[in-house]
Amino acid sequence: MKPLTRRKFISRTASAGGVLLIPPYLSGCLSSQNNMGKSGYFETEFGIHEKLCRKLLETALSKGGNFADLYFEHTISGVLVLEDGKVNQSYGNINLGVGIRTVKDDQVGYGFTQVLTEESMLSAARTAASLVNASAVPPEDQFITPEIGDYYPVSTYFNEFPVSSKLPIMQDINEKCFALSELVRKVTVVFQDEMKRIMVVTSDGVKAEDLIPGNFCYTSVIAEKEGKMESGGWEFGGHRDFSWYDPDLVEKLSHESVQRTLIKFDAIQPPAGEMPVVLGSGITGVLLHEAIGHGMEADFNRKNISVYSTMIGKKVAEPFVTIIDDGTIPNLSGSINVDDEGTPGKKTILVEDGILTGYLHDKISARYYNVEPTGNGRRQSYEYMPFPRMRNTFMMPGEATPDDVIKQVKNGIYVQDVSNGEVFIGQGDFSFYVSQGYRIENGKFTAPIKDINIMGNGPKMLENITMAANDLSMYQGGAGFCGKENQGVKVSFGLPTCLVKSMTVGGTGQKGGVS
Amino acid sequence: MNQEMKNLCKWVINNTEKNGANQCKASIVTTRDVNIRYREEKPEIIKEATTQGLSLEVYVDGKYSAQNTPDLRKKSLGNFIIKAIGNTRYLEEDSYRYLPDAKYYEGRSEIDLQIMDPVYQEFSAEQRHGLVRDIEKACIEKGGNKLISAQAEISDRFTEIYTLSNNGFEGEASGTRFGAEVSVTIQDEGDRKPEGFIYVSSRMLDDFPDPEKIADLVTRDAYQQLGSKKIKTEKLQVIIQNRNTARILSGLLSAMNGQNLQQKSSFLLDKKDQIIGNKQFMLIDNPLIIRGLGSRLFDSDGFPCKQRTMIDEGILREYYINWYYSRKLDCEPTTGGSSNLIIPPGNRSVEEIMKDLGRGILITGIIGGNSNSTTGDFSLGIFGQLFDHGNIIQPVAEMNIADNHLLFWNKLTEIANDPWKFSSWQLPSLVFKDIVVSGA
Repeated sequence: MKPLTRRKFISRTASAGGVLLIPPYLSGCLSSQNNMGKSGYFETEFGIHEKLCRKLLETALSKGGNFADLYFEHTISGVLVLEDGKVNQSYGNINLGVGIRTVKDDQVGYGFTQVLTEESMLSAARTAASLVNASAVPPEDQFITPEIGDYYPVSTYFNEFPVSSKLPIMQDINEKCFALSELVRKVTVVFQDEMKRIMVVTSDGVKAEDLIPGNFCYTSVIAEKEGKMESGGWEFGGHRDFSWYDPDLVEKLSHESVQRTLIKFDAIQPPAGEMPVVLGSGITGVLLHEAIGHGMEADFNRKNISVYSTMIGKKVAEPFVTIIDDGTIPNLSGSINVDDEGTPGKKTILVEDGILTGYLHDKISARYYNVEPTGNGRRQSYEYMPFPRMRNTFMMPGEATPDDVIKQVKNGIYVQDVSNGEVFIGQGDFSFYVSQGYRIENGKFTAPIKDINIMGNGPKMLENITMAANDLSMYQGGAGFCGKENQGVKVSFGLPTCLVKSMTVGGTGQKGGVS
Repeated sequence: MNQEMKNLCKWVINNTEKNGANQCKASIVTTRDVNIRYREEKPEIIKEATTQGLSLEVYVDGKYSAQNTPDLRKKSLGNFIIKAIGNTRYLEEDSYRYLPDAKYYEGRSEIDLQIMDPVYQEFSAEQRHGLVRDIEKACIEKGGNKLISAQAEISDRFTEIYTLSNNGFEGEASGTRFGAEVSVTIQDEGDRKPEGFIYVSSRMLDDFPDPEKIADLVTRDAYQQLGSKKIKTEKLQVIIQNRNTARILSGLLSAMNGQNLQQKSSFLLDKKDQIIGNKQFMLIDNPLIIRGLGSRLFDSDGFPCKQRTMIDEGILREYYINWYYSRKLDCEPTTGGSSNLIIPPGNRSVEEIMKDLGRGILITGIIGGNSNSTTGDFSLGIFGQLFDHGNIIQPVAEMNIADNHLLFWNKLTEIANDPWKFSSWQLPSLVFKDIVVSGA
């Protein structure tokens, strides 16, 4: 099938938009699934026309406010699970509703409903309006659709493939994992996919639609050697086309999952304490996300509770350090054609040549700082209001080779795989869990390591990045979620191999771990 | 749950059977949520919504799937059921997957758990604003001259659930929950801004902590971090403060889960009736506590709930095994997950214990980290107070503890008398010896 670009897609469906043969709203969620790819979806399927949107916005601003917006969402998602050799579990979920927000300076009123009737939506709008008590403000007369990108082009939407077409992929992974090592005892494969249709309508005259495919395939492996068990796994995903999950990817996923498990049998825990840390390329970018990225989200700075609140324009890192949050990288989990406030996806420079240049903004913080929104207003679903959130956050590559970086370390560790990061915004202190890596002695890997935590302070760590290699790569998974304000959004991150001259490593120093 | 919803649930069961399911179970859940956040003495967020949803489990010719939808219109549900059954048929058969024998549903307690606050319906917008305003105001007053920001958010939720299966299970429950999430940020030296944070919840408004108490705890948390720095790595005694013990205990609990046992990803596999901790270590799961945040009369399989001693004098006595994994493990089921968890408190306060301990760290916060359920290794970031014979020497941060659960719980030396009551896991502060605390 010839790939259909987003722009062509909109153009084609827009021309068909005038023929509304489907009775609004009563068409039923699942029967409408095949129409989700068409623009004007919420109008054709649920009768959400511009006149009604204006009425809802008028109600949301009936007691005043700077602006209001409507966020319509219909998401259909499914999970298949292979366990003990069989794809024998399936879980499905439908999310359908609208969130209505009224904003007055930094105050937010928010209501949402799952029932897309006028009565129910007006009730949610009145809830949002209850925040303020002033004179009504009218929304703009016209809604303009902004030019948006096409950062997740797909030929056929994932959900259009029947369940049966996904089973062979999962079974193939299972067989390959067992074939790779006789130590493998259990394999679990999880295949998740979703199709999310959103429409954002704002009182300042924006009407934006998007269709967001999301998916990932995760494999976990349990292996046994001489009576000792180890577990590991890997995943690939993002805003992907179904064809991405081809035999090469299956091979790679199986191999990574098994190898990342087996190597743990030889792993030790490094000595505890401060030491140089080399962050490997790719998924270790989660450290940028936790240690630096969250502190640069503008809501924390607007409230003066971030450690970076007073650092704009100041030197925060060596001159070779440039950090970017980019929503426009094709198919990555954090990419967005348009954010959840109607602002097109963009690329935002946070640190340029070592100088802190800007924050990540939603509309509220952009008003506060008198800058343009950066397209970082994101939310988990219609049940949540948007906040400044990261997209794909990474550091630009340097000029050294990875080997050059590793050779600098006499006694330290190399971090290959991480998870479970957390940061305290005000202190800047962060932590992340190293599930896999290597001990470095005299510039060489001497033993694998596993299951340790690393602690640090964001600004200090940024200052302590003394070297970067030329091998930037991005996390290619789809299961990475960032949590904030009790909601999760999909993100990605990346890093070239970097040397941090000192961090606290939380090992126990006992050979073979303590188990 | 009103009769209309119950009838709808019955209609779903009947239609699922008619469309070819051998067995099925349906639940309808409705919730009402209100959140109000105050900052700078004015409302920052007001959020309110009512939600509903149907969960449907279908069993077709030995195949299984579970589906959720918020669209409860019959026409939509009709399509939903057909699609759910159709998709289930594509899956592979699973001989372990079927609803429990109806005999397992028998014996449900009839006690009133008092998890529904009768005053909830009269809890007005003015009262909500008054409560959150009082909390924020108390935080500002106690925040002192270093205060940068105080933020208080209260939430309340009313939930109703009705569950029906085609093999004889019927159950319903309704409950309320009141919560507060409060943070205070203060100015330290340079750009450092320590934050105190607390989350409290209760079933009844009467049981909700006083705004002054919340403000005391959260501002103390923030001020205790002023001037924090890491110390050299050493082996120390540690006290894990009551609000943080759940983070450690959750790593142990994940290994007690039936799925992890069956999948051989549990370090507690084959450890039943063996010593896994110090003799003082008792862990009780009691779903029948009056007003308990985790209280319930039946579990997710529909089994009647009862008190269980999971760990008795350091000996592992039970696992959490639901119906499905009990079939795969060829054993009797217990229950699928924890309810109210109790570690019986000791006799002394943390302050009294500290005086006798010599040098140690009172861990007042945990940051990041993880626990490997297969091996039992865990590693967690910490901050807190370095003390010596009860005297605070300095606040510490950017530090870490690492151990293995099978060794760690044997290092438990004392349990304080301060169970944290505002959570379903009512855990006291715990004292451990010989813990590697990593720092400089």
